[in-house]
Amino acid sequence: MFATLAFHWQIYRRLIGAQLRAQMQYRVSMLFEIAATALIMSLFFVSLALVMQRLENIGGWNLAQIAFLWGMVETGFGLMDMFFSGFDPAFFGRRVRQGTFDELLLRPVSVTVQVFGDQFVIRRLGRIIQGLAILTFAFSTGDIAWTAAKIAYLPLVLAGLVLYFGGLFIVGATITFWTVESIEAINVFTYGGSEMLAYPMHIYPDILRRTFTYILPAALLNYYPALYILDLPDPMSLPGWLRFVAPLAGGLLFAGALAFWRFGVRHYHSTGS
Amino acid sequence: MRIFWIITWHSIRRHLTYRAAAWAGLITNIFFGILRAAVLLALLGARAELAGVTAQDAITFTALTQAIIAYLSIFGWYELMNSVHTGQVSGDLLKPLGLFRYWLAVDLGRAGVALLLRGCTIMLIYAAFVPITTPPTPAHWLALAVSLSLAWYISFAWRFIVNLAAFWSPNAAGVGRFAFGITWVLSGFFLPLRFYPDWFIALCNATPFPAMVNTVIEIYLGLVHGQAMLYLLAQQVVWAIALYIAAQLILRAGIRRLVIQGG
Repeated sequence: MFATLAFHWQIYRRLIGAQLRAQMQYRVSMLFEIAATALIMSLFFVSLALVMQRLENIGGWNLAQIAFLWGMVETGFGLMDMFFSGFDPAFFGRRVRQGTFDELLLRPVSVTVQVFGDQFVIRRLGRIIQGLAILTFAFSTGDIAWTAAKIAYLPLVLAGLVLYFGGLFIVGATITFWTVESIEAINVFTYGGSEMLAYPMHIYPDILRRTFTYILPAALLNYYPALYILDLPDPMSLPGWLRFVAPLAGGLLFAGALAFWRFGVRHYHSTGS
Repeated sequence: MRIFWIITWHSIRRHLTYRAAAWAGLITNIFFGILRAAVLLALLGARAELAGVTAQDAITFTALTQAIIAYLSIFGWYELMNSVHTGQVSGDLLKPLGLFRYWLAVDLGRAGVALLLRGCTIMLIYAAFVPITTPPTPAHWLALAVSLSLAWYISFAWRFIVNLAAFWSPNAAGVGRFAFGITWVLSGFFLPLRFYPDWFIALCNATPFPAMVNTVIEIYLGLVHGQAMLYLLAQQVVWAIALYIAAQLILRAGIRRLVIQGG
């Protein structure tokens, strides 16, 4: 067990190492691109901040509180997008379409580890930097009553977000085994989900809010933890413990996605092209 | 000129074959539309209006912007760039019409299909479920048609210029992502320009970006009338000409640098 794990880790490190070396060949160009990504993505938050000079709040939340939601989801999604790029349905779908997924099956190493190591996009650092900058803004301008428990919970919430969106990427990738093309509807849950979580859930129409609370637990990942950390009341008056289940919700979705992925790999038929 | 229309026709037929993808894209467009409408309504809060924009106008704003994403390729367009990187451009340069007009014809077909299949469908779906604003007078409808056409031309010229970066840099896609990202915000696509502080609106108006999206919105929502509307259209014409000239100059400089890799 331990030996296999160590072996997988070694393979993963080698695959990622090759990716890093390749992408860092044009070092200046890469650094420039990371900076450009961070800058351009920050522009969206800055423009929201400008509009909020005139319209002071969104559903009763001020800029610092929105910044907390926004910073968390951007950092989480950015981290996920870096580590799970191999499963990005658009990227992975191409492998299935062109039949190059078969190559991975021929190698005597875990397919899952290979797909994880297939793609590691350094450029995504730009999005992560942007997320962290917005979080810093949220921490410095909002007066958050910090406690040891809140500080300890913060990285767990981030982990929940990474697992949740990573799980969705894996589900999207697995679906391409049957559809061959990446289905656009998955974008609703991945990119749409990250957009949705950047704002307080109570501003959305009931049906949307309920779907993303009870069917997919998106609300538990960012909004409920934010209620706890920012000491805000829950307009829906749901049980208080919902604020503390973010890593669990993300982890469960991730585990389900992995099971679906294994099922998909077992039932994979090559496109034969 | 005949060749231009033949290329457009082929482009239309090519894009009509991706109908299933267009329908799938609709779901995403509408989902994002609902999210954006909820955010705008929450921003407006209890106010009846801001800078002449009512809650209903705000919802219409999200409908309209979602409807023209595909038409104007707002999320980016990299075809010319790719043709430079693959060397395909060398063949395109031999065609009996300039590179700008060739891609203009191709993009016209693409945009036309997108406007009908994506744009109109989104507006109709919105209109069926929520009360949306429509242009107040026949003059506004007419101005809307002119403005939409000019918006497409300006957006094409801008995307063409951004793609020309490929003549200088092997990493032109990064330049593209940056340039298109700026376009989202400064054109008034991300949030209505009228909601920003005055200095920021003035800054945007010094660029060609509002002529791609904001002008269409102002006319559609009936936020401008008479002379002010004509002034906006005149501005679009000026930007169209300016970007056309810029595109030609940059293209000429780019072709001089072009080296096609053999093989």
